[in-house]
Amino acid sequence: MKTRIDSVEDITRSFAEQGYICSDQIALAVYLAAQLHKPVLVEGPPGVGKTELAKAAAAFLEAPLIRLQCYEGLDESRALYEWKYGKQLLYTQLLRDKLGGMLADTDSLDASMARLGDLGEAFYSETFLEPRPLLQALRSEEPAVLLIDEIDKADQEFEAFLLELLSDFQISIPEMGTVTARHQPLVLLTSNDQRELSDALKRRCLHLYIPYPEAAHEAAIVAARVPELESELREQLVAFIQYLREQEMKKLPAISETLDWARALVLLHADSLDQAVVADTLNLVLKTEQDVTLARELLPAWLRKFGKR
Amino acid sequence: MLSRRLSEFVQALRGAGLRISPDEATIAMQAVALVGYDSRRRFHDVLSISLVKEEQHRAAFEETFARYFEGERRQADKAGDEEVAAGMPEALGPGDAEASGDADGESASPELDALLSASADQLQQRMAEAAAAMDFTQMQVITQQGLYTRRLLMNMGMGAVDDRVLQLSRGGAAAEARADGLRQWRGQVREQAASLVRRQFLLHGAARGRELREQTMRQVAFRDLREFREVKSLVRKMARRLASAHQRRMKVARRGQLDARRTLGRSIRHDGVPASLVWRRKPPQKSRVMVICDVSSSVSDAARFLLQFLYALNDVLPRVRSFAFASRFDEISEDFLRFPPDVAVARVLDRLSGSGTDYGEMLEGFLRLCEGPLDRHTTVIILGDARNNYLPERAELLGQIRRRVKQVWWLNPESRSQWNSGDAVMASYLPHCRVARRCANLEDLERVVDGLLGSLRPA
Repeated sequence: MKTRIDSVEDITRSFAEQGYICSDQIALAVYLAAQLHKPVLVEGPPGVGKTELAKAAAAFLEAPLIRLQCYEGLDESRALYEWKYGKQLLYTQLLRDKLGGMLADTDSLDASMARLGDLGEAFYSETFLEPRPLLQALRSEEPAVLLIDEIDKADQEFEAFLLELLSDFQISIPEMGTVTARHQPLVLLTSNDQRELSDALKRRCLHLYIPYPEAAHEAAIVAARVPELESELREQLVAFIQYLREQEMKKLPAISETLDWARALVLLHADSLDQAVVADTLNLVLKTEQDVTLARELLPAWLRKFGKR
Repeated sequence: MLSRRLSEFVQALRGAGLRISPDEATIAMQAVALVGYDSRRRFHDVLSISLVKEEQHRAAFEETFARYFEGERRQADKAGDEEVAAGMPEALGPGDAEASGDADGESASPELDALLSASADQLQQRMAEAAAAMDFTQMQVITQQGLYTRRLLMNMGMGAVDDRVLQLSRGGAAAEARADGLRQWRGQVREQAASLVRRQFLLHGAARGRELREQTMRQVAFRDLREFREVKSLVRKMARRLASAHQRRMKVARRGQLDARRTLGRSIRHDGVPASLVWRRKPPQKSRVMVICDVSSSVSDAARFLLQFLYALNDVLPRVRSFAFASRFDEISEDFLRFPPDVAVARVLDRLSGSGTDYGEMLEGFLRLCEGPLDRHTTVIILGDARNNYLPERAELLGQIRRRVKQVWWLNPESRSQWNSGDAVMASYLPHCRVARRCANLEDLERVVDGLLGSLRPA
């Protein structure tokens, strides 16, 4: 992992090289997180590149990305560690004779117990520990980027469980004691605002809100990601998407949808947005029937107004 | 200097309603130290990243930031102590005072001389001393600022200036000119004092004032709530607190017993050792809430808040269907799905408002529309004053509904003593309601919804 980050501009530049065009604020948040060793809570509408940010950050820091996808019912054994029960059982089976032999010369139950005790933690040792993402991040040989994706989908209990990790970069495992991070990972949490997160969690994190991008910014993203698209069509496409976002849609189109659409237009060899092209591809951008109908109604007026320049 | 300024800023943010812990303030300072404050844009972003944890606080943050740091842009490159004294008038000088005093044939008091001959810095110092002797923490409402400014000026000894101005204004033309000069000077000092008091108010008063206002908002009748700007955020806050409390309780209630059969089944692959336990889960609850709101003029304010509250509880109450009636009866769920609550309420009122509520017709309409979906998981809530304009009340229809559903709740915005006065007919409906409560202000509403969520929880 890179240990020195020279400046915020450094991050912006590196992200741009990877095709992740970001605002100054986003780069600043990553910079602060890395320098202050604080987790960042990234919020924003779906599809604005929250997860991409973590990937770009990992690439920039030259660190492995460890990802934990949250869902309802996620618990410690999925997120932190699990004992390999099967392996433990298999080993006891295979070692049965050996154990029998070892205990053969003891004459009382107490003596057998004592000898078994000497065996110590053999069956609760590293060999049988299955590290899950959180533990992986703490024990990683090099500093890692830990992405805890969609934390709002996990239960409140899990959120509380994360607090220790987020503030002290350590976690308590009953059988092994406290595990402290070898290297403090850069932690990014994302949320889609499905559920209100607790104040305790928010207090421990820096907070970054990624809104839908402005037109110029979005055009730059499209240019970086879909360079094959002609600039004139790109402008038109971005203008139309921006216009759609101002409408009363059920689900507003995000950057990922803009990119999908741009790629589709390239494949179709379209050279400008017209009624036919849009009608064919609109369902790439809008995901509900209602929105598609609304957009179809709005399209002719928009084309008359802005379409031709 | 900067850190003091920042901690004052944090205080002001707290006053504006943000919850900022000391820890967060420390991080903000570290972050600022790290990034520096050459770029104003970046300084702003650093503070917003480290201090604003909820999007709904964004506006308050921007406003406070502008108020706090906008004025300083001009002095950004000046030294710190100069910045403090900026805006203070320069000394008028005792010579002038003496000269005019001579013209009047009077000598000015030494106290007045000292004030007038003080340099901007000295004057600033004097004001700070006077302010330190005062207790600003008692300031609660914005209108007290004038009073505190006056007190501050008096403590500085500005009374002498007032007297002198009065004296001079009775004199000749020369004295009049001198009085004008004094007035102008006094005006400048007063402005400074007012801005000092304003800052103190932001630090101490705003937070306390907000508490006070929230307390009031909870207790005033719904129709007076329109006068409060912050009511929307308060409703959201109350709903959120209720939601999270009930969410947790629901989780606990859902965990079931050990499923011995499946645990044994699963243990086979581990040679009979029950390595993984299987728990029985209680089936998820399917409770459904149907709200019928009277939106005639007398009740519409209460309806507005009840609906806002219920839809803010989406996390815990995913299946709410709402209906409204005044002169007509109709389902309004769609409006709430498509628009934010306040817009939806306005649309509904536009569509359905009118007078002449007929509860009998409403019940009939409701049965016609939803008799099918009614089942034992359904709770029906009726919000209305039961003023039926002397039309047939048809309580038997409510009985018919009651028999098909889990429970019927009636919320009445009037106090209990009014329930049967005039054309109100609560008495005939009461036997069919499991719960009937007064719901006249936010506090009532919170209690009602809390009880409702409790009653929906599986036993």
